Amino acid sequence: MSKKYGMVIDLHQCVGCGACALSCKNENNTAERVDGQSHNWADFVMKTEGVFPKTRYTQMPVLCNHCTDAPCVAVCPVTPTAMFKADDNTTLHNQDRCIGCRQCQDACPYSELVLDDEKSSDGAQYSVISFNLHGKSTTAKWQDKSEMIPGCTGSAAEVAAKVGATPPDQNKYQSGDYKPVRKSGVVEKCILCHHRTSAGMNPACVDDCPANARIFGDLNDPASAISKALKKNAKTIMRYKEDEGTEPNVYYVRSYNDPTV
Amino acid sequence: MKLSRRNFIKASAATGGVVLAGCAAAKPATNAMASAKAQPSSPGKGEWIPTTCQGCTTWCPAEAFVQDGRVVKVRGNQLSKSNHGYLCPRGHMSIGQMYDPDRLKTPMKRTNPKKGRNEDPKFVPISWDEAFETIADKMLELRKNKETEKFLLMRGRYSYTRDVIYYALPTIFGSPNNISHSAICAEAEKFGAMYTEGYWDYRDYDLDNTKYVLMFGGDPLGSNRQVPNAIHQWGKVLDQGKVAVVDPRLSATASKAHEWLPVIPGQDGALAVAMAHVILTEGLWHREFVGNFTGGKNLFKAGQELDESAFKENITSGLIKWWNIELKDRTPEWAAPVCGIPADQIRRVATDLAKAAPSCMVWMAPGAAMQVRGGYGAMAAHALNGLVGAVDSKGGSLQKMHAPYQHIPDHKKFKGFVDEIAAKGKKHKKIDGRGTKEFPALKKGKPGKGVVTNHTADGILNEAPNEIKVAIGYWNNFPFSCTGADRWEKALTKLPFFTHITTNVAEMSWFADIVLPAAFHKFEKVAFLTSKFNRYSYLTLQPRVVAPIWDVRIDETEIIWGLAKKLKDKGFANLFDYFQSALVDPETKKPAANGLEFAFNVTKYMTQKAWDPAHHESGTKINGWKEYLKTGLWQSEPYPFHKHWKNGGSFKTKTKKFEFYSETLKVALHKHAEKHKTSVDDILETTKYTARGEQAFVPHYEEPFRHGDAKEFPYIFQENRSRLNREGRSQNLASYYEFKKVDPGDRSWDDAVKINPVDAAKLGIKEGDKVRVTSPINSIEGRAHLFEGIRPGTVSKCYGQGHWAYGRVASLDFGKQARGGSNNHLMPADYDRLSGSTARHGGVTRVKVEKI
Repeated sequence: MSKKYGMVIDLHQCVGCGACALSCKNENNTAERVDGQSHNWADFVMKTEGVFPKTRYTQMPVLCNHCTDAPCVAVCPVTPTAMFKADDNTTLHNQDRCIGCRQCQDACPYSELVLDDEKSSDGAQYSVISFNLHGKSTTAKWQDKSEMIPGCTGSAAEVAAKVGATPPDQNKYQSGDYKPVRKSGVVEKCILCHHRTSAGMNPACVDDCPANARIFGDLNDPASAISKALKKNAKTIMRYKEDEGTEPNVYYVRSYNDPTV
Repeated sequence: MKLSRRNFIKASAATGGVVLAGCAAAKPATNAMASAKAQPSSPGKGEWIPTTCQGCTTWCPAEAFVQDGRVVKVRGNQLSKSNHGYLCPRGHMSIGQMYDPDRLKTPMKRTNPKKGRNEDPKFVPISWDEAFETIADKMLELRKNKETEKFLLMRGRYSYTRDVIYYALPTIFGSPNNISHSAICAEAEKFGAMYTEGYWDYRDYDLDNTKYVLMFGGDPLGSNRQVPNAIHQWGKVLDQGKVAVVDPRLSATASKAHEWLPVIPGQDGALAVAMAHVILTEGLWHREFVGNFTGGKNLFKAGQELDESAFKENITSGLIKWWNIELKDRTPEWAAPVCGIPADQIRRVATDLAKAAPSCMVWMAPGAAMQVRGGYGAMAAHALNGLVGAVDSKGGSLQKMHAPYQHIPDHKKFKGFVDEIAAKGKKHKKIDGRGTKEFPALKKGKPGKGVVTNHTADGILNEAPNEIKVAIGYWNNFPFSCTGADRWEKALTKLPFFTHITTNVAEMSWFADIVLPAAFHKFEKVAFLTSKFNRYSYLTLQPRVVAPIWDVRIDETEIIWGLAKKLKDKGFANLFDYFQSALVDPETKKPAANGLEFAFNVTKYMTQKAWDPAHHESGTKINGWKEYLKTGLWQSEPYPFHKHWKNGGSFKTKTKKFEFYSETLKVALHKHAEKHKTSVDDILETTKYTARGEQAFVPHYEEPFRHGDAKEFPYIFQENRSRLNREGRSQNLASYYEFKKVDPGDRSWDDAVKINPVDAAKLGIKEGDKVRVTSPINSIEGRAHLFEGIRPGTVSKCYGQGHWAYGRVASLDFGKQARGGSNNHLMPADYDRLSGSTARHGGVTRVKVEKI
């Protein structure tokens, strides 16, 4: 049987620290937020409920759900599709074939074409798929030659030139489908660190979660850690926006704020 | 499904023409689902190199992933038994800090002789040689005039190679003024443990084995200390036991707890003594540690004094005195209106804690200690550990293992290198006022031994005990990080000559004559650190992971070596001669040929017992320096439980017992009083404490001291910490603002003023409104965020934002306009004078809030 990669996020283990999202940015060289595009392949939704002192706070790490019935793939208009399901169930993206039409972004139940700054700053809204605007450099920050104190402090362009990489901390991985730094006019999203999983490693967010809240693995293998975790926590399994019918493959178990669950 | 919900054309039109243009360029064809195959891919290639994270004072053993001489990723040191190979979120932000475009890349000097907040220093680049020339000339002028006490060294974020800059430099030069930053961060917390169990340090906590955590004013899932260990173990802790968190804000830790006790800021002491009352009256104290009534029957009854002879203590001392002096009337019903926690909850938490004894802990942290009258609150919270026998117990509150580093040779006296001028200069009193009647600073039981960092500004301004003419500060930013920050702006303006060593042009640099670019600790420094958590002490290296791209040098060693060499060239040879004779390479015996070699020499010398098999004492066996460079980490054996229970008590207190009546503090206070020819009561009055008589020697309740009249300033201000603060240094990174929302109650890209909705309604403030927060000394502005996670009657804002310098992201307009508001301009400078600690918690000031 072919592999079916997915993820379990144990909300009891998760403390909402943010390490996954920051680690993801380092691993995948994702850009800073611009034009309502967060470029956060890993992000969070959070909410506060109840009235003082019976206040409950919940945080939920979010990422691409690598849906079985992925609407982003279904709407991709090019042939073969730029957004596609790999044999291991990863929803992958080929940047060469992407024409930047953004239909995937629009179709994805977990993405916004343009994020509302207020909602997204408050953890009420996020995007799985971000877009790099046509004609706008994705590394503009590192082309800036201006110095805060002339001759005394650095410039972004000088840093990039001196270390010989843009961005300077670029993790230079290899992939025939997606580049470590995206070009303008294409979308981008979590590819479950395909460059790592294809080498037998975990996605970066999994390895760098200090709480061991994330389990990555093969949902088709009953002996895998992820299958066992789902079996063990069968009563508390939740999939985000499951009613959208896309068959998401990121599962949440247990509770963020109720230790008795 | 969402597909039918949106109109693609309409939505994309909203984002401008670019999208449509892109679409038009290619004809949408019929899609062929799943027809594509994944192309080959492989992970980035590189090498993991050990180092140490200093984003907070946990000082995590870490590793950096290096590709072609560039750091691209980080993780915990895979060998670490303390952090289990993981870093917390702030660890991942360090790379951005190193490659920060706004970093200082060369030494520079000010050309505008006028100093002040509104004076552009007009910095211009200079060479290292010119910088050393200028600094050496200024220092030698002090020697020429035999006034070396007018030299001041201010320490900030440091490593243990600080011996060079912090001990050797001031002592051999001849100044008493080596002032550390320590007291702006936590000394009151150490006070609590010192005057109960004789331990002047942060405690370790055995989360792995605990059955109950009572957190007093700490947030280890969010901020210092031992954050990765707490994060890693938390799920297990919640499964195997219970957690209760005392914090006026629903902190990260409180949001992951069984109970939240949103105490009124500063009333932690009331809660602690009431819990002690419950534990005693309910008969729940730990018999083996504390002892029992000779008759076996529990005689603790509310309001009733007891005869001391009725109780036989084991490893503790003074229980009945404590009961009679303080606890007998401290019922939960008394405490409830005082601290804002219902009596039944106080009773329940105290009972649950004690029922888990001794595998339980009271984790006492700065929130409950760094208050104007916080010393006794810290003692009270920590004394609960004594009642339940959690001290040194499996699952309890622990001390630490010995880590075998050695100081630099003769590090206090430097015999043979301290000449007459230096000896005379060194005899002067320190500029921070420690040991004066007002500032007992009772470190380790000795009056005047602790530092009063924040009072240094007043020492400079008042020229008390003397003028400061030449100062050096490194890796600190006191006009940003100290309360009453405006005093620091004035003090630094007054300094005739000031050199700042820093990675970024900080607020403190703004007042400098010379600014020197520092190597970034985690990836560019050569040094070592020691710390402990999860029962292991360790010595961890910073071996310089990558070559710096700028002309930066290492603060504590390399720069001081260069300065010492220049001083020798100009006729004062003692410092350089000490370095070259005492701090040679332990293997080759050769003195350093340059400052970088010197940094290695010092590090190798100080850690020799860890890496040299011939000097091995204990813990990890490392086969030589080369192997130590490769692994980066020496670790001790695990801390043995009940270490200080031996022989009926082997604590470093006067009685050798865990003291509920602190004979240790009694001696210290009397020593200080005698020194000033007065009474202990007078000392307490002078230090703003309300206790008199015997109460001074027991953990007890003190009414919190707050600045500001309750009518004019109706809200209590409380400060919180961020899980993304790398001290005050991550604010020039976009990722800090992007993910600020991971702090409960905060918003991304904002400096949220957190207000309870009930208060907001009273004030006519809505979510997102711009507001002004005013204390008796200053105002700051921010955006209101309505949050049910803070106590009505209080206003909370996170430390970290409000930089008007540091970089072009940190400030809105560098040198001119701050991004957000700095709490330290709002909070007046005040202290827990008994420890010397700055008081920044417990609601040190009241504020008013207005919509603008």
